[in-house]
Amino acid sequence: MNMVQVMFYLMAAIALGSALYVAASKNLVRSVFMFFITLFALAGLYVLSLADFVAVTQVVVYVGGILVLILFAFMLSGRESLAGLQQRQNHILSVHNLPAFLLATLFLVVLVNIILMAKVDNLPWLKQAAEQRNIIQPTDGTIQNLGINLMTNYLLPFEAISILLLMALVGAAHLSRKEEAL
Amino acid sequence: MAFYIIYILVAVGVFAFVAVFTLFGVYAERKVSAFIQDRLGPTETGKFGTLQTLADIVKLLQKELIIPAAADKWLFILAPIIIFVAVYMGFAALPWAPGLVPSNTNIGLYYTFAIISIETLGILMAGWGSNNKFSILGAMRSAAQIISYEIPAGFALISVVMISQTLDLQGVAIQQGILSAEKIKFLGVWDVSHIGGLLAWNIFQAPHLIVAFVIYFIASLAESNRAPFDIPEAESELVSGFHTEYTGLRFAFVFLAEYSMMFLVSMIAVILFLGAWNTPLPNIGVVKLADWTTNAAWGIVWTLLKTLGLIGVQMWIRWTLPRLRIDHLLNLCWKVLTPLAFACMIISGIWRLWVM
Repeated sequence: MNMVQVMFYLMAAIALGSALYVAASKNLVRSVFMFFITLFALAGLYVLSLADFVAVTQVVVYVGGILVLILFAFMLSGRESLAGLQQRQNHILSVHNLPAFLLATLFLVVLVNIILMAKVDNLPWLKQAAEQRNIIQPTDGTIQNLGINLMTNYLLPFEAISILLLMALVGAAHLSRKEEAL
Repeated sequence: MAFYIIYILVAVGVFAFVAVFTLFGVYAERKVSAFIQDRLGPTETGKFGTLQTLADIVKLLQKELIIPAAADKWLFILAPIIIFVAVYMGFAALPWAPGLVPSNTNIGLYYTFAIISIETLGILMAGWGSNNKFSILGAMRSAAQIISYEIPAGFALISVVMISQTLDLQGVAIQQGILSAEKIKFLGVWDVSHIGGLLAWNIFQAPHLIVAFVIYFIASLAESNRAPFDIPEAESELVSGFHTEYTGLRFAFVFLAEYSMMFLVSMIAVILFLGAWNTPLPNIGVVKLADWTTNAAWGIVWTLLKTLGLIGVQMWIRWTLPRLRIDHLLNLCWKVLTPLAFACMIISGIWRLWVM
């Protein structure tokens, strides 16, 4: 095994292990901090697939933004309400969990099927790209490529997302405004 | 294999530098504050008190590591490490001299910016893990402040990136001196590609970047929790904020992180705005000052001098200005700095299209 493979399995193991802890742990705040490790390992996996920009964006958006927001919500809610949440009994086999169980099993079946049917090594477009030497090297910059594609091929989705974000911002500003005295 | 050994050596080297810088940084801070407040500062240990911080470190190492009974043990132990490692990893992409950069990545600036934001998480971890109301208040203030000030800082950085057209910090550095492959114009009119020096720095290439530099500098003070933005550890109300419960080595790590953060943000400012490792001396006719003072060794000297200069300004500000109140602080961020940074970004676009 070369270094890249070792790194891949290490990152994958960390991501899976920490994700399991996030799902299983009863200590909510610890779960959130463990989620940080999951996200970081995922960023590492992105780097290994030469998507360094996506990896860094993942860290900025999820770790710097979303995780901190979740933590804020935790810290603004009192210890008592958190303790109440944590003490709820969690039996894995119960009637409440039946729909979740069904969904999870079905999804697992779908995933396994896809993995078995995909034959990742023999995809036609992959072979074609490899023959034409149309591949990204580890030393290539990916941002130019990303920028050009965002401004040409994917302009409409890009603009739609920006309008969605603008709407969210306007909504937040409206909610946080003081009621004017009549 | 030699490859990995060099990587490890560079990492150890950066750590050693950061540690030594912290030692002298604390000493300098105490002497500067003493000078400003008309005191003497440390005088007893060593000549002029130079060994004072070394003695402090020895004292800290001997102290007992106390974990409060009600603290969340794991979070409490891990927090100082995460805070420090986040700052330390930021150094990986910063160039020191021509050809001398720990990791030559083409998204260096973006990476550094992302890694710094992890520090917030460490601070929140420390605040929550300590299980202490002062700690959690300090941590929340700190997180709110860092997140808010990332916005003007980010836009100030974007306005530089729009001028230099690269996120590679070494690329940004090369564009500000005589080694540049492109034409450099002083204030957008006078071609100074072969004169270099002070005239080729980014803030003089496009004058609106002076405003961006000031915005970034103010925001960087807030991001490293320095006065006048030190309400997270306002000692008159919060004891010492998120690190109230820390003792010994763990406290030393928090301190190390604070001083490394000062160095890191100053160094980013130097690289992006003040010509990185480029010399401030221009070529004047046959006196080729810029050519003589541009190489690896001089590069390190200039980077250090400029960065230490900025840190000096940070200390000067800390001991001169009073602490901002939280509403003033947020007003400054959202109503003054953010619109100004937006304006800088727009001017950058216009500058790139029609002037350069």
